[in-house]
Amino acid sequence: MIDKSPRPRAFRLDDHRVAVDDGPSPLAPMATIMTQRDPTPVERDAPLDVVEREVEAAQRAGLAKRRRFKLATIAWVGFGGLVSLAVGLWIDSLIEALFARAQSLGAIAIAFAVLLVVGAVGLLAREFVAVARQRRIAELHAALARARADDDRDAARGLVARLAALYLHRPETARARAEVEEARRAVVDGRDLVDVAERALLLPIDRKVRAEIAIAARRVSMVTAVSPRAILDLLFVAAQVVRLTRRIAELYGGRPGLFGFFALLRSIGAHLAITGGMAVGDSLVQQVVGHGVASRISARLGEGVLNGLLTARVGLSAMAVCRPAPFEVDKPPGVAEVAPFLFRKSKTE
Amino acid sequence: MSLFTNLAFEAGVVARSLADYFNGGALRLGVTGLSRAGKTVFITALVDNLVNGGKLPVLRAAAEGRIARVHLEPQPDDAVPRFPYEEHVAAIAGPERRWPVSTRRVSQLRVTIEFERVGAWGGARAQSLNLDIVDYPGEWLLDLALLDKSYGEWSRETIAAARAKSRAPVACEWNGFVAGLDPAARAEEATAVKAAELFAAYLRQARDATYALSTLPPGRFLSPGDLEGSPALTFAPLPLDGAEIAAGSLAAMMERRYEAYKTHVARPFFRDHFARLDRQIVLVDLLSALNSGPAALSDLETALDAVMHAFRAGRASRLGAIFRPRIDRILFAATKADHLHHADHDRLEAALKLMTGRAIARAEGFGAAIDVVALAAVRATREAEIRHGGESLPAIVGTPEAGERIDGQVFDGAAEAAVFPGRLPDDPAAALAGEALALPEADNDWRFVRFRPPITRAGAPPPHIRLDRALQFLIGDRLA
Repeated sequence: MIDKSPRPRAFRLDDHRVAVDDGPSPLAPMATIMTQRDPTPVERDAPLDVVEREVEAAQRAGLAKRRRFKLATIAWVGFGGLVSLAVGLWIDSLIEALFARAQSLGAIAIAFAVLLVVGAVGLLAREFVAVARQRRIAELHAALARARADDDRDAARGLVARLAALYLHRPETARARAEVEEARRAVVDGRDLVDVAERALLLPIDRKVRAEIAIAARRVSMVTAVSPRAILDLLFVAAQVVRLTRRIAELYGGRPGLFGFFALLRSIGAHLAITGGMAVGDSLVQQVVGHGVASRISARLGEGVLNGLLTARVGLSAMAVCRPAPFEVDKPPGVAEVAPFLFRKSKTE
Repeated sequence: MSLFTNLAFEAGVVARSLADYFNGGALRLGVTGLSRAGKTVFITALVDNLVNGGKLPVLRAAAEGRIARVHLEPQPDDAVPRFPYEEHVAAIAGPERRWPVSTRRVSQLRVTIEFERVGAWGGARAQSLNLDIVDYPGEWLLDLALLDKSYGEWSRETIAAARAKSRAPVACEWNGFVAGLDPAARAEEATAVKAAELFAAYLRQARDATYALSTLPPGRFLSPGDLEGSPALTFAPLPLDGAEIAAGSLAAMMERRYEAYKTHVARPFFRDHFARLDRQIVLVDLLSALNSGPAALSDLETALDAVMHAFRAGRASRLGAIFRPRIDRILFAATKADHLHHADHDRLEAALKLMTGRAIARAEGFGAAIDVVALAAVRATREAEIRHGGESLPAIVGTPEAGERIDGQVFDGAAEAAVFPGRLPDDPAAALAGEALALPEADNDWRFVRFRPPITRAGAPPPHIRLDRALQFLIGDRLA
């Protein structure tokens, strides 16, 4: 055997030629033994970073909320049942009245009633599917974060395949999906596999999302600056925020319907509350200075910048909670990165 | 196995599983390991840490403070002796500080864990989990590999193994004797006794620490228990060379006894203790095999593979759990991880992964969850750094056992010493290459000495390495 590594050896601690820690030692000790106090590394669950924990907490508040049976739920179910019965009764009496007037009118009413039922059932089914899909995405996000933190290859393989499956219906991701499929076979480490998938599938979408946020922020700041009435720009901001968040959710593969959208809003609200309206990368100073300088030039302009900032913040929160994987390859963008014009304007003018 | 014995065996397993289920459905933890792998110490440390509130930060239920109380209960099988847990704790933590003596019989213990989980309505819900653990002589485990082998197959394999180059020094006397035997000769008890004695002597010597071989069935030859001298233990393999076994010949007698051994010794042992496991931990003592050399390692690999072949692994379902429990989680553990510095633990795990590769692949195919870990149920050393001759070496400090030697030093079992055991190779395959057995110390890049148990505070469980991680993997989901 080729002997390159050091030979095994041992030293008795009571040997007078050996120095142990800080104890009395000979002038030229044969060997020095330093006790190591650091504990044996135990493979704990690797900790998730703060940003990721915040995002997951926000998702749990809305998108991935587990519905518990609560008293309120029972009450709502009862109320909803009664309302549906009332509506049914009304429709029934309406149809009867129409039949009493003319046979043909009654038939038409029945046809409409059937359409109503079919449509309502379809809508309801779509809502369910949409909510379930959003929850799946949020759970996928948490699982990917976990698998990446634990460097769990087996878990990562399955999850990455699910991530790719989210974008099956998008032809422009064909190349990225193929890349991920190849990485599933070739890459050994779970951590790397998650990173590869994120880079291939999500970074292009991230760019689109950032562009959407930028457009919305710019539009809001401009409209606020020129709008004649406060109430008008309030409505406009609200409409823009709704449009933006829906668009972001769709880009990442979710399909928020009505209830799904409410859940999304709850998650965004929770994320804003947890992060205190601050994303990593931008500072309160920037926000205040941006507002301050602009507002000294003109009050309307200042409000415009502020509204633009708020829109961008909401957009970034939506981005964080809708994204099916945590930000690992790239840092999560800050307001200054998605909407630099808000700051530039205040500096140049 | 014939169809009928097979059916009867299955029926027995099902009947016992049903009885188990109606007795409150305990979780049966199979502590598997060849002799001297550390089964007894593992069970003792596990129970000690649970009952006396040891530090188990990775076991989630313990870390979250949800475990209310853990206590020992009378075990379900009245016919099996109780695991002498208190004795073993006294041996390890008492003034003698010695490891428990090698196990000679089966014993059993039931641990009840009372814990709380968050209920569906948000409140706390008290629950309890019964954990049944069985301890047994590790040598017996090898018998499981015999269950599917006929006398002819076993003879051929055993004789071929004894004639292999690596085993030649241990087996020469036995080889010489068996060469002079005629399987077709008339059956004589004296010949049979002589053959069995020599065969047993060969097995015992091969197991010795210098050789550290593992594939040595039948297990009762090494640890006979109460069967010593009975006909079921008076047989040996014969060089049949594919010849028919004539009635009344020596070979016929041996074959009958071999079958009797399987029916009366091996099969009941398997049925009573292994056919109905829920979770399994396979303890492997890689270090003594590493000390001995590549042949001992590949022999250990063969033994592990043969043993794991006998177990049933696969995802458990509710109905299946009643009729036919399956092992759904298997943990492979390289024990005595405290005998090397933690920087080498990853390499130890890699070596174990390589050695158990076949068993892992098979279990994964059945849908069981697998994990590999380097652990020490009782941590006998602490870590240090030796600076010597311009080198800085990661070392461990403990009290080596009397008679252990390394680098020309012989220890007296009283003095503490800092030991640098050498470095394991980055590529575990390097340690497996070759045929050598019982290598002298100078030929190996490493030398692992055994340590005495640590000095512990009275009443407190001794420290451990990753015992909590093993527990989290094995029973954590049932405490969630």
